[in-house]
Amino acid sequence: MRQRLGCLSGTGLIAALIAALVIVGYVYARGGLLFNPGPLNAQSGRALGGVTSHAEIGDNCESCHTAPWESETMADRCVVCHTDIAAQLQDVESLHGTILQNNLDLACRDCHAEHRGPEASLTVIDTEEFPHEAVGFSLHGHQQTSAGEPFTCGDCHQADITSFTTDSCHNCHLQMDAQFSITHRITFSPDCLACHDGVDHYGDDFDHNQFAFPLTGKHTEVSCSGCHQNAHTIADLQSASQDCFSCHSQDEPHEGQFGTDCAACHSTDGWSPASFDHNLSNFPLTGAHVNVACEGCHTNGQFQGLSTACIACHTEPAFHAGLFGTDCAACHSTTAWSPAQFNGQHTFPLNHGGGATCATCHPAGFTAYTCYGCHEHEEAEVVERHLDKEINNFQNCMACHPTGEKD
Amino acid sequence: MLRGNRELWLAFFAILLITGLYGLVILFTREIPPAGELFGHSLGIVGFILMLMTETLYSLRKRSRSVKWGRLSSWLQFHIFTGLVGPYMVLLHSSWKFNGIAGITTLFTIIIVISGFTGRYIFTRIPRTLEGLEIEGTLSQEALKQARRLLALWHMIHIPIGMVLFTSAFAHLCGALYYATLLR
Repeated sequence: MRQRLGCLSGTGLIAALIAALVIVGYVYARGGLLFNPGPLNAQSGRALGGVTSHAEIGDNCESCHTAPWESETMADRCVVCHTDIAAQLQDVESLHGTILQNNLDLACRDCHAEHRGPEASLTVIDTEEFPHEAVGFSLHGHQQTSAGEPFTCGDCHQADITSFTTDSCHNCHLQMDAQFSITHRITFSPDCLACHDGVDHYGDDFDHNQFAFPLTGKHTEVSCSGCHQNAHTIADLQSASQDCFSCHSQDEPHEGQFGTDCAACHSTDGWSPASFDHNLSNFPLTGAHVNVACEGCHTNGQFQGLSTACIACHTEPAFHAGLFGTDCAACHSTTAWSPAQFNGQHTFPLNHGGGATCATCHPAGFTAYTCYGCHEHEEAEVVERHLDKEINNFQNCMACHPTGEKD
Repeated sequence: MLRGNRELWLAFFAILLITGLYGLVILFTREIPPAGELFGHSLGIVGFILMLMTETLYSLRKRSRSVKWGRLSSWLQFHIFTGLVGPYMVLLHSSWKFNGIAGITTLFTIIIVISGFTGRYIFTRIPRTLEGLEIEGTLSQEALKQARRLLALWHMIHIPIGMVLFTSAFAHLCGALYYATLLR
């Protein structure tokens, strides 16, 4: 004999019927609330669609849920309120635009899970596929932690995936290089993201020589803050002046006498030796001047405004007896004082006698002269000739022979 | 002891095995398996099928004496085995959240298991053959009468609980299909 199943007894069927009626009645009165798998997120944000959190939507399931047979999807209902995200989805440069472009089948709920409690994060992300660079920081340089482990979201986002503080950077980098990290943080501020975007060249690969101001010589030994003072952003760093004087004004010993173009004389190998080209000045160094020490002319540290007149350095010698004036260069060259070539006025024809030097006529100084001792002017012969002609006063030759001729 | 409670031991080992698997999944995914994802969902589906088998197979065999597939006592053992392992899997499927109709279903699942255990011990108070037929004469008439009355009372409670459980499970299934599985 075949009997009914035990469960299909009268009490069983009545219980099932009552249960079904209760369920249907509840669904009729409260919608789909009976199937709610958990509370909605209650974290308040901007007011969107008349609410500041999903929890405020309450038991109105249809605000987000569509029926499986409807053409409208849940994502369509998300963007009714989240209009900013709707705009992002049209922009491939934005975070959501980038994600959608790479995964056309993705729905909002694939990353943003709900019904996980009032405090639970709304974002659940596949870390390997998440285009982190779209939020302004690439994970290019953060593939492995300092311990060699693959990075997890929690390594940087301790409290919540949507929040971030640079303490995360600091804690990790402190373990990598404590001294550098502390100094770097003090020098450039704790706002790491102001300069670093994860793909920048400010990490291990940093090479200052790729920039407009290559570091050479002594500049390679200078700390960053030595030139980039109070720099807190990339723009600050890039605005550092490349002009020597902007950093070295305090080092200037010339009291402004050489201008501010330090590199005209100095190299980055050191202040000394300097390579000043005096010939670019209005007093080119030639002859014996080349070998004179700077201080020979530039006494008392004065390098500018010095007179270029010879007499400013050279005093007229006593044997000139004040007869030649102070224009040394009229007779002398910079090669040496001697020989000199007198080109000034001379009371006696200089072509007299030919080949004579000054000392021929002025053996005892330029204030006196003698005609004796030269070719036919032997003193005994001169005396004899003048006495023959009864000329007794013949000591002053120039009185009768102003041009050197006999008559 | 082992021989007399073979189904309990088997259920115990099956539960240990499932627990191990559950632990491994947690170890690899670092989260409680969500009810709607592969492992959690599979637990729910298989667990529910086992519970359906618990509900129907033994009952069918008991009432189809013309077609005698296997001994009735073996079917009872299988009924107990699936009646323990199925609800355990359903419990794991809950991912330890007991909201709405899913929570109600889990609650009734736990109640039906407790009720089932109680029933088993009332049932064994009446001596039976391997085919489940009562052996008369070993108990006094008074004791047998009392045992039968108790068993009838238990049936009065156990079966409605089971029916409520399956009704709510069906509602949960419909809700899950509408709000999750077929969601677009």
